[in-house]
Amino acid sequence: MMQEPDLKMFLFFSELQGRAVVDSEGRAVGKLADLKVLLGELFPRVTTLIVKKRHEKKLAALNWNDVECLNGSLVSLKPGAESRFTPLEVGNEEILLREDLLDKQVVDTYGAKIERANDVHLLIVNRDLRIVHVDFGVRGILRRLGWLKTIDRFTNWLFAFSLPDKIVSWKYVQPLASDPKKNLKLNVTTRKLQELHPSDIADIIEELDKANRSSVFKMLDLETAAETLQEVDPKLHLSLIETTSEEKISDILEEMDPDEATDILADLPEEKKQRLILTMEKPYRQTVEELLKFEEGTAGSIMTKDFIALRRDTTIGAAIEEFKKTTHPLETVAYIYITDEEKHPLGVITLRHLLLCDRQAVLGKLMNPHLIKVGCDDDLKTVAELFAKYKFIELPVVDKENALQGIITLQDIVKAMPEEL
Amino acid sequence: MKGFDLRRHWKGFLLFMAVAGPGIITSNVDNDAGGIATYSMAGSHFGYHLLWSLIPIMVALVIIQEMSARMGVVTGKGLSDLIRERFGVKVTVYVLMGVVLTNFGNVIAEFAGIASSLEIFHVSKYVSVPVGAILVWILVVKGTYRSVEKIFLYACLFYVTYIISGFLARPDWGEIGKSLVRPEFDFSSGRLGMIIGLVGTTIAPWMQFYLQASIVEKNVMTKDYKSSRLDVIFGSIIVTVVAGFIILTCAATLFKAGIRVETAADAALALKPLAGKYCSALFAFGLLNASLFAASILPLSTAFLVCEGLGWENGVNKKFSEAPQFYGLYSLLIFLGAGIILLPKIPLFSVMYVSQIVNGIVLPAILVFMLLLINNKKLMGEYANKRTYNIISWATVAVLTVLTVAYVVSLVT
Repeated sequence: MMQEPDLKMFLFFSELQGRAVVDSEGRAVGKLADLKVLLGELFPRVTTLIVKKRHEKKLAALNWNDVECLNGSLVSLKPGAESRFTPLEVGNEEILLREDLLDKQVVDTYGAKIERANDVHLLIVNRDLRIVHVDFGVRGILRRLGWLKTIDRFTNWLFAFSLPDKIVSWKYVQPLASDPKKNLKLNVTTRKLQELHPSDIADIIEELDKANRSSVFKMLDLETAAETLQEVDPKLHLSLIETTSEEKISDILEEMDPDEATDILADLPEEKKQRLILTMEKPYRQTVEELLKFEEGTAGSIMTKDFIALRRDTTIGAAIEEFKKTTHPLETVAYIYITDEEKHPLGVITLRHLLLCDRQAVLGKLMNPHLIKVGCDDDLKTVAELFAKYKFIELPVVDKENALQGIITLQDIVKAMPEEL
Repeated sequence: MKGFDLRRHWKGFLLFMAVAGPGIITSNVDNDAGGIATYSMAGSHFGYHLLWSLIPIMVALVIIQEMSARMGVVTGKGLSDLIRERFGVKVTVYVLMGVVLTNFGNVIAEFAGIASSLEIFHVSKYVSVPVGAILVWILVVKGTYRSVEKIFLYACLFYVTYIISGFLARPDWGEIGKSLVRPEFDFSSGRLGMIIGLVGTTIAPWMQFYLQASIVEKNVMTKDYKSSRLDVIFGSIIVTVVAGFIILTCAATLFKAGIRVETAADAALALKPLAGKYCSALFAFGLLNASLFAASILPLSTAFLVCEGLGWENGVNKKFSEAPQFYGLYSLLIFLGAGIILLPKIPLFSVMYVSQIVNGIVLPAILVFMLLLINNKKLMGEYANKRTYNIISWATVAVLTVLTVAYVVSLVT
């Protein structure tokens, strides 16, 4: 079949596995044990044939170009191929179909869940053998058991029905490194995972076993890793953090808002926490250290320091300029606070004021002076009740001297009280 | 200094409580309807003579379960997951079929236990079995893992009824001590058969799957493994003490009076004139608790291991629509198991017979798979079996295999 270069043909890996490998004269060489694939391309190419040679314990590798044809139930080699066998080695961008993919868990990024690879669907095109689909279905299991034909005949005869296929394009399949020491580091090989929503990645991480969990986590870029870490079950934080280098973890934490990073740090063992804080950049580190002083379960521990505070004589125009300069996340700039020299909050204006009021007007005149405030040491339940009562989307937090220290957004309080939901 | 030590012990205790559960639960479920029947027979047929055999059984139980726990902690994967990844789909499917078959037999036995224990309290099986099945089903479908585990741990407390009934039976402690310290190794065919029966009912394939899966579900960290091991050892001791008390209750009463019983319910009934109605009622209540307990765990464990091995979604925290195969298999096992008991003329004996034989064929295979997996350095790293421990565990597996095969042969012939 491979003599005709244009011929396209589909076949399953289970049909190839175990086939007899013969040399150009038709003498038996061994059995096909595995195939090595180079990742990176959309539909990756089989580069190497892995053969269990007769009378030899170790597997031997042979370049795919040395395959003459796939003939019936045989794999025929080109003349002289016998001498070109080499010991098996697997590089960082390569996987073995049987060893690393078949029967293993992979991520189906289309359905955003974990599946087990029951079979691999291959396509011969222009003499190349490429992975095109992965079989997650019952048909894959039955095919490998050798029951598929019998069961198909039976269900067709009895119900006029065939079991449905469940095969997914390789485009959506993210293999996982089964050996935790081996990292699929390359962006090309892990890009599929980044396309998932972080909360889906978090769900997937929760489902996986330890080794795969940390291998998935290591594949993520800093931003995705930060979002995923916030979404994942807090019980897994420690094991994820312990299996990743401290440098990378502190980079990941710095991607988060300081109050969120603090939440994660607060649950870690003291020693680990201190080491991570020390590796952080200075201004970020100071904010985190301040936030960490507050006891868990208090308003101070979940507040964020991302807020805008201006003086009462500031004009609307100046406030708009100030607003343009700020880089705080959107959900934390719903209000602008007016404070005096001692940071005592005097009142609040909303974004609506900025849009609608005269640019010359001063904030002191426009502000709403009836502020509802929370103390740093107030417990979360009190805070939640205030949110429920006044229907605000954020509340200012003051310390014992009534100085504005931060704000709590509706988002913060919802996240902090999951057991109440 | 003293205060510091106390704090360390307290911390250790808290850690143990956080990790404990899987080992204790698994061991207690092991004393299920079938187990209690076997212990009752052992006590009523041979008196105190076979008590000693519980000690080597306990050691074997610790060795086997410790390996399951270790694999669960280190790999974070269930046993059927590991078998699938290491030995491929073919082996997995056939092993799973065997395990499902033997577990199904056990589920039927549990419902039979529910029926017969409540018949002692004059509740018809047409009431007790459906109510029991629905209760068990709801517990898992509507519960979360944490709440289910808590209920299971409380169920373990009820095994104390056997210890109380043991004291009520007024056994001869001197003779018990003698049989433990200077055991009579008399391997006449009847006694050997009984010992094999005790081993067979104590070490079953489902335990390794259940224990490993629940340790994985608890997400125990590798550094806390010691607490898990303690949990397993503690559980194995409890199971042995309870079994011992069942044997001595029957030995002190039924054996003395020359009554030979074949089922646990018979034992409870026969206890009434000999040891009083409280002893009898406690015995029957213990049987009910054990049967209900095992009837909730066995179908759950079976559904888990099948879905895990075949790559289907599973877990009590999933919704029905997310994991249809999981809940489907779970429900099927419960309602089919309960349904068979309600048939007017149940071929109970032949069902048990087939399940015991399959059990005997599957167990050695699973133990060998476990040993191969736990010696896999790539999987277990520094936690693979050490040399001495390996010799002990291979020897244990060899002895268990010989006994199981002997049991199967004795059943067939």
